[in-house]
Amino acid sequence: MNPKRFSQILLLVVSLVLSSLPANVWAASVKAQQTSTVAQVAQEKFEFGQVDRDLLSEINLLDDRFEKEGVVYHDPRLDAYLTRVGTAIVADTKLENVEWKFRALRDPVPNAFALPNGSIYINTGLLALLDDENQLAAVVAHEVSHVAQRHTYLRNRSVRKKMLAINIINTIGTWNPVTGTAGIAINLIATISPLMLALSVFGYSREQEKEADLEGLKTAAAAGFVPDGMPNSFKAMQKDIEGEQLSSFYSDHPKLQERVNYTSSSIPADARKLTDDEAKLARNDYLAVMEAVDRHNIELAINEARFRSAVFVGEKLVNLHPESSENIFYLAESYRTLGPRNAELTSKQLTSGAKKKAAKTRSKRTLEELDAELLKTPEGQEAWKSNSEHAEKLFVRALELNRLNARAHRGLGMLYERLGRKEDAASKYAAYIELAPNAIDTERIRRRLAVLKESMR
Amino acid sequence: MRSSLRVVFIILCCMFAHYHTADVNAQYVNAKLKEKKVTIRSAAILPAKVEITKESAKGSEMMVAESADISVKVTEAVNQALQQKKISVVANSFEPTAMDESRKYTLADIQSRYDALLPKLVDKSKDVKKARFTLGDEVMLLNVHKDADVLIFIRGQGRVFTKGKTAFAIVNIFSLDLPFTMITVGVVDARSGEVLAFTKPMSMSNVLKDPKALTKMIEKSLKKLPAAA
Repeated sequence: MNPKRFSQILLLVVSLVLSSLPANVWAASVKAQQTSTVAQVAQEKFEFGQVDRDLLSEINLLDDRFEKEGVVYHDPRLDAYLTRVGTAIVADTKLENVEWKFRALRDPVPNAFALPNGSIYINTGLLALLDDENQLAAVVAHEVSHVAQRHTYLRNRSVRKKMLAINIINTIGTWNPVTGTAGIAINLIATISPLMLALSVFGYSREQEKEADLEGLKTAAAAGFVPDGMPNSFKAMQKDIEGEQLSSFYSDHPKLQERVNYTSSSIPADARKLTDDEAKLARNDYLAVMEAVDRHNIELAINEARFRSAVFVGEKLVNLHPESSENIFYLAESYRTLGPRNAELTSKQLTSGAKKKAAKTRSKRTLEELDAELLKTPEGQEAWKSNSEHAEKLFVRALELNRLNARAHRGLGMLYERLGRKEDAASKYAAYIELAPNAIDTERIRRRLAVLKESMR
Repeated sequence: MRSSLRVVFIILCCMFAHYHTADVNAQYVNAKLKEKKVTIRSAAILPAKVEITKESAKGSEMMVAESADISVKVTEAVNQALQQKKISVVANSFEPTAMDESRKYTLADIQSRYDALLPKLVDKSKDVKKARFTLGDEVMLLNVHKDADVLIFIRGQGRVFTKGKTAFAIVNIFSLDLPFTMITVGVVDARSGEVLAFTKPMSMSNVLKDPKALTKMIEKSLKKLPAAA
């Protein structure tokens, strides 16, 4: 092929693909300004193609799998609550191939997502982080907006086009027959273009997120929720309890502070706001509904080594019902498992560099190794002393409030075992077995007791 | 031009041979098992999670139903391999329909504990020999059959290429973009949660469509696992 013609074709392919991106993004943001409710979005026609139908059938199977694998949290009170909030948002909006379902996912990571078939999942970790129903409504409205605007299908279509372009450009780059400056230029374009295309996928995704934020803000307000719920939900998510929010060039979501800013500035000045008393009431009402979920989330957080999150939620529970033996037990468990860590990250630990370093260490070390390393430091020893004392006091308090709280006996037993107080541990384990002979972990505690007794001989 | 064509031809032949034959079987056994301080007579296999994706010229696509099917096939292959070692497999008590919510949650939590450990197991597999990894005695919450000495965790991933993707893979030979199947099998003490053995067979051949090849691959990968007396 004539080198000049070859380079012309390559440039044409690249420029066509790249020029199509801002158009998509621009079209999406314009659309966001013109619509305000889910019903209005529903009027927009979306033609299902084979690719979309294929994706939908895979998504439906995935949705079923979540149920089978026990990752969906079921609690009648919570299910009814989420359905009430979700139904208020979607009203009577009917969309082709969408069946609205609002469920909680057993995951302590603060997140929510929507499947294009209308299944909205809110992680227990996010439910535990939010403060009131308005914030929850904002999260739901955001996800509903993704479904209503068919974002997953549009992104899938866009990614498919870009992937094809990347493959073609790679091929052209591999078999480039042109030499000299033109050849170098072609190779350079062939190298850079796939990267640009890949980055544009994130850019497109960020635009969709912004669109869903702004649409969600309007739909939540239209359903009677306080618009401040949207920026406040982002503020709640800004609490970097685990020190895992790392800024990345490749992020598919806008930065949280950015989201707080643009959603706050989009709220009309005369929009309804909660008074301090109303806000307090709304918070207490929400926390009362979430009490069981929060307890469940503490178990999940401990299972996934998110101990600081467990303490955060445990404190919330105890503040809500300071005389609840169960809530105090959960806080005690959180402090016990926190081990040699400080309950809140210091500003030094929250710097970008420190967070990256901690993430790297977490990826290399096992939990036992991390604990052992921390216990070698004065800070770690101090934290363990403080956490274990605090946990002991809380377990004892839980037992004062309810002597039959079997799990408080178990927790205390585990704490004493770790502290080397073998006899005390054995007595607490025995109490647990007596109080809960058929519990799920009775065999586990029996084994621990047997090992302890063996070591005491 | 002729010589460069020859080079391309040789590379294509190598790729073809590699594509159809390459199997890698890495396996690591905890010293306790090797020194026979622990013996495995019976095992409980937890639901496998093998994810396969269809790779086309337009990117990746999920294959949820196919992944479920292949998970069952891999479980069956592991079951056969264990029985060849005279390790009995306790009856499956993890059928989703047979479990209540609480049991489903417990299973999901133990599976996620294993998933959190898996990257470290894959990266530092040799450390299995030094007894570095454990899931903790929380594994006892599963309350599997009392005879079960170990729990078997199966994970895997695979890529199936469409014709279009195969064409691109061949044309872009230097990208080394190939279909593969990688399975990992973790053998975990049913009481202490200690990882006793770990294996990560990998294949470039199409084992996903050939049950015999799959069984052979799994059997080979568990070769070092001591047989029950």
